[in-house]
Amino acid sequence: MSAFALLGLTLRARRRRLLVLGAFALLFLAAAVAARVLVSDADGHVDPDRLFMVGGYPLVSAMLLFGWLLGRFPLIATLVLMAGLASDDRRDGLARLYAVRPVSPLAVYGVRAVTLGAVAFLFCGALLPLFDLILIGTWAGPATLVLVASYVLVYGGLTALLSVWSRGDAWLALLCAIASMVWDALRRADMLTVPPGTRDLVTFVLPPQAALFELEGAFGSLQPIPWDAFLYVAAYGLVMFALAGLSLAKRDLA
Amino acid sequence: MIEFVGAGKRFVSGPRPWRGPVTIDALKDVTLSIPEGGAWGVVGPNGAGKSTLFALLLGFLQPTSGAVRIRGLAPRRYVRRHGAAYLPERFRVPGEWRVRPALVALARLEGLRPDVAARRADEALQRLGLEPFADREVRTLSRGVLQRLGLAQALLGERELLVLDEPTEGLDPLWRIKLRAILEEQRAAGRTILLASHDLAEVERVVERVVLLDGGRVREVFETALAGGKGATRGPLRYRLELAGAARELEEAFPGAVPVGPGEPGAYRVTVADEAELSTRLGALIAAGGVVSAVLPETEPLEARVQRALGSGGEAT
Repeated sequence: MSAFALLGLTLRARRRRLLVLGAFALLFLAAAVAARVLVSDADGHVDPDRLFMVGGYPLVSAMLLFGWLLGRFPLIATLVLMAGLASDDRRDGLARLYAVRPVSPLAVYGVRAVTLGAVAFLFCGALLPLFDLILIGTWAGPATLVLVASYVLVYGGLTALLSVWSRGDAWLALLCAIASMVWDALRRADMLTVPPGTRDLVTFVLPPQAALFELEGAFGSLQPIPWDAFLYVAAYGLVMFALAGLSLAKRDLA
Repeated sequence: MIEFVGAGKRFVSGPRPWRGPVTIDALKDVTLSIPEGGAWGVVGPNGAGKSTLFALLLGFLQPTSGAVRIRGLAPRRYVRRHGAAYLPERFRVPGEWRVRPALVALARLEGLRPDVAARRADEALQRLGLEPFADREVRTLSRGVLQRLGLAQALLGERELLVLDEPTEGLDPLWRIKLRAILEEQRAAGRTILLASHDLAEVERVVERVVLLDGGRVREVFETALAGGKGATRGPLRYRLELAGAARELEEAFPGAVPVGPGEPGAYRVTVADEAELSTRLGALIAAGGVVSAVLPETEPLEARVQRALGSGGEAT
């Protein structure tokens, strides 16, 4: 399939982003190793009490921040890699060079999206368990991979759709992510003052943060995977990808 | 056969808080019939609609009025089925790409097998003098070399339809000459070439007909010296007439004849509507006793014709 011909070039064009993500991953791993070396207990686990004794609140806070950021890493990696999925080509005129060739744009961008999504998945699917293994000597099992896949599907699909329509795709997707986190927090606290219909509609349109938090909870507390939540986020992501494909086929290449 | 039938394109920008939506008619009621084979130029002032015309032709944009057809198909369908060679006005590919792998990948998108794509890419590298740059990153290329890469990618698929937007942009004189040879080769192979350019002298050298766009409308279609057919405005024909001896009879046969210059006695410039009128007037001149030593056609430069067609209101193209 000729659409695969661009894969090497796509990854080459994103090598700086991959290097930056790699550098961040190394930072996480270095923090985990440092904590393990400094304050591990008899079982080799990082002991929070000893962590506090060594570095006080700043060190404990730093490790908690690392842990929180690690939970967001699949979101960050997906946005970084998928940014400009179609919009960069539209900006540079490359989309027109593809369009005059007898190859479907759906194939070109579909292969690209799947590849970049797979890279994000593999990247995070390796980092998260490794971090856990270093820090606490165990990992959350398949729940980790399900969580990573969920983020890749939801934000990969959303970025792909936004990329067909806007050059600020990743920033808009990040805005949607933050909005959905705030919205979900307000909804849980019962602080939303909008009518129920509007509330349900906004909750439905925004990224499914409640379901993602459910999956994250299972990952964090080593609970069984909530498959209904995963199905919901997977459906959301796939609908976004489908809408992106539809937009790609219909939209002018201005 | 390419047909534009009353085609128009209107761009509407979204409303802003400080103003309403803005509409721009980039093309208005364009009707053109371009037969297969041959080379056509598209010229006009900045903003005349040249790039929009190409965008409609290749299906990048849908017309907001009228229709565009290539061999009876909607452009997007034609291009998806048959492909087209295209050089955009500002050719760009990611700076991290290397020249040869980029050409191989784009050749693969033409539907070629990997070995054929690699061979075609190597041929294009050789043809456009890009071999020394084959392993270089695109970001390191000069403007002219990048333009040659753009031409190379356009020629990979050996398509029937070539659409080139400002193909000579950034090329040095040597490569302009080589490009002329490449286009002549494509023309001889029966391919249809459309090119837009501000370089009227260059356009005149490579195309048979020229579409003059102005304000989104087709102002005129000219034939150049390369044209052999009919169906477009050729304008009056000018000849250099050289007489041996006195020119008493000339004024009667060619009332508008003017001497070429003081240094060339016996040489006159005459203007006629067509070849038939020329023959009639020459016959009258000879019958009256005039002795003709030479009749040489003089074509009016495209630049002058465009300037005249645009009048004082047109910008320089």
